[in-house]
Amino acid sequence: MKQMSDVLFLDKRFGFFLYLVVEAIMFATLFATYIIFTPAERGAHPSEVFEWKTVALTSIFLLSSSGTLLMAEKGLKNWSRKWIWVGLVTTFLLGAIFMGLEIHEFYKYAHEGYTLSMNNFLGAFYVLVGLHASHVAFGLGWMINLMIQFTKDMPRALFIEKHKIFNYYWHFVDVVWVLIVTIVYLPYLF
Amino acid sequence: MRLPIIGYVLSDVIVSWIITLIIGGFLLWWLTAKRKWPLILDYIGTTDNRKIGTMYILFAILFFIRGGMDAMFIRTQLAVPDNDFWVFQADKYNEVFTTHGTVMIFFVAMPLLIGLMNIAVPLQLGANDLAFPYLNAISFWLFVSGAFIFNMAFFFNAAPNAGWTAYAPLSNDTFTSGPNNNYYIFGLQISGLGTIFTAINMIVTIARLRAPGMKLSRMPLFPWATLVTSSLILVAFPVLTVALLLLMFDRFYGTSFFGGEFGSPVYWQHLFWIFGHPEVYILVLPAFGIFSDIISTFSRKRIYGYTSMVISITLIGLLGFMVWAHHMFTVGLGALANSVFAITTMLIAVPTGIKVFNWLFTMRKGVVRMTTPMLFALGFIPTFVIGGVTGVMLAVAAADYQYHDSYFVVAHFHYTMIGGTILGAFAGIYYWYPKMTGKMLNEKLGKWHFWLFIIGFHLTFLPQHFAGLNGMPRRVFTYTWEDGVFLFNFVSTIGAYLMGISMLFVLWNLFKTHRSGTSSVDGDPWDGRTLEWTTDSPAPEHPFPNVPVVDRLDAYWYAKVNQTNLPQTKDVRPDPISIRTFQPILLAGVLMVMSIGFIYHWMWLQILGGGSVLAFFLIRSWTDERNEAYRKGEKS
Repeated sequence: MKQMSDVLFLDKRFGFFLYLVVEAIMFATLFATYIIFTPAERGAHPSEVFEWKTVALTSIFLLSSSGTLLMAEKGLKNWSRKWIWVGLVTTFLLGAIFMGLEIHEFYKYAHEGYTLSMNNFLGAFYVLVGLHASHVAFGLGWMINLMIQFTKDMPRALFIEKHKIFNYYWHFVDVVWVLIVTIVYLPYLF
Repeated sequence: MRLPIIGYVLSDVIVSWIITLIIGGFLLWWLTAKRKWPLILDYIGTTDNRKIGTMYILFAILFFIRGGMDAMFIRTQLAVPDNDFWVFQADKYNEVFTTHGTVMIFFVAMPLLIGLMNIAVPLQLGANDLAFPYLNAISFWLFVSGAFIFNMAFFFNAAPNAGWTAYAPLSNDTFTSGPNNNYYIFGLQISGLGTIFTAINMIVTIARLRAPGMKLSRMPLFPWATLVTSSLILVAFPVLTVALLLLMFDRFYGTSFFGGEFGSPVYWQHLFWIFGHPEVYILVLPAFGIFSDIISTFSRKRIYGYTSMVISITLIGLLGFMVWAHHMFTVGLGALANSVFAITTMLIAVPTGIKVFNWLFTMRKGVVRMTTPMLFALGFIPTFVIGGVTGVMLAVAAADYQYHDSYFVVAHFHYTMIGGTILGAFAGIYYWYPKMTGKMLNEKLGKWHFWLFIIGFHLTFLPQHFAGLNGMPRRVFTYTWEDGVFLFNFVSTIGAYLMGISMLFVLWNLFKTHRSGTSSVDGDPWDGRTLEWTTDSPAPEHPFPNVPVVDRLDAYWYAKVNQTNLPQTKDVRPDPISIRTFQPILLAGVLMVMSIGFIYHWMWLQILGGGSVLAFFLIRSWTDERNEAYRKGEKS
């Protein structure tokens, strides 16, 4: 009989990948919404709202967090507690900075009068990027939970399973960000 | 009627409150008197697929009664011209047809099929449970939560009233400003999430938990249909989720995606039907699977053209995504778009036709037994063919300008939805009832149910074709003598009552079967062909201590023919871990609280409910049943 944890992990991984398909379709629909309504006939044009500096900064922090997560993945493979800690903590910090920048960006836009009811470009922007930001926020909470679980006595196979599932999630959220940069921001920055 | 504090309420709401309280009180008394609470607690805390499937069906029947009563009100109001039945005119009529449609699709048809999938699919695969038992319980309770939210609306005098399609801009806060359609959004959103989880569960189960030797090419057709349906759910439901999310932003936070000066009402129609059309195939494909199994069993013959059956359901599934705009022929998308969607729609008739012929050829030279499930299957074939033919008529874009939004369409989709899904669900319930409960439903009463239902059905909906062709639009609450549609409507109403009466036979049958004295049946009462009949009736929580090894389609049947037993093995993958937990029902309750916060714009309740929902992720993570199981694995 095969090892229980191996088999159940493969079940869970397949299920989670299917869930990510669901998420991908939700984001795809929101991308379509954004493309259809942008730029809007009236109200703000994207080029007057977006700033390349914010986009560059947020991207640097979030994309590098996918890189630092690889350290934790290496730690999982060789079971090195040090690497897992280093990977998780740096990923968390980078993600948290991204989150701060994102909140600041939203706050600033709203302050300048670019609210979500101004036109459908801004409406679609806030719903799409906001949904992504809430995924990052959820991921940050998830990482805290993982770190606490790491300090507790938990079967190694179970921790590895939970960590791996989180890794898929975080990389997925990063891929969505790359799409957001290329579809939402880049066409209107230059 | 004006009540103190509450304000203006129509009498139907008050009557419903009184009746519900009386029945509810009686039920509580009865459950206590009969000491049924331990049993109920057992079901609430279960993750067993059979029990969850049974609960799906029970709740579906409850909502079937509700949706059926709506139908009765509709038909009574339309029975004669210029009618004024009770309160069901104008706005109230809008509420009644909206709730009838939404309840029947989302809270009757879906749970009936998902319930049968829960009961039969793992057994047919030789699996001991679904891949994720805990998630399965979550799915079920999310469905219950969504259904309760939606059904609550009526009792608070705020039933949704923009049609089951909730077309914008009518569904926007500009035109329907009350809480009514907020109920629609949250009821569908939460039950939809449950459906998505079920789809994931089914796909993983079918992909990874099949008995040794059961290749995909040896899998019975009901699991096949479930696999295709689940894939459709996976793609279609997220689109609905986003559509509802955007509608919610329009209604709550001042955006104008679907209305106002910037919005596009047609975009809502696109999103809704990109979900909505696959949805009707989601509803009908499992029924096809059920009929395939039943017709094969009761003809004592291998299903004719197994491979073409599989290819057909897959093709129907694929084509299902390319036809959504046939609901929008009159919107003005242009001749090219209309032509393309007309052709793809007509194409669907080809694989469907293949299936119909395969069912007929399965019976040819077979030893046909006229049991109740078989009767429903036989009733389905001509009924569904009529629905298919009118479907092809509607697919002719130019002609559709005449049919659109008329009773012809109403007749068409009732022929497919009742003729396909509901007959399929009835057939499945009679067929698998022994697996659910260990008892057989009474055949005589079952046949009464079938004949009254099928005659009532055709009496109701056949005349509606002609009413539609004579110009009667759907969603109107009355008509005049001069319209010349009285006879059609009157016959239709008689038929509807006949269908209602036939359902009383179901209740009588259930009562009679469980009254006592009726003996339990053995594992294989129908002389079946697939693996579910190798287990006991009712199926135990761990049905396959030794998993049968399968070497072909209908292996159990051929083993019986050769008077041997199926070979069995213990060398299989580990089973999913089933547990007892009350987290799912609590989560459902918390989601309900959060939804009420949103529906009535109570910010504090939104935060409280939302925070509690997030807390459930932590609770789940820290009470993971794998902790204990893996610990044992590490020691050994």
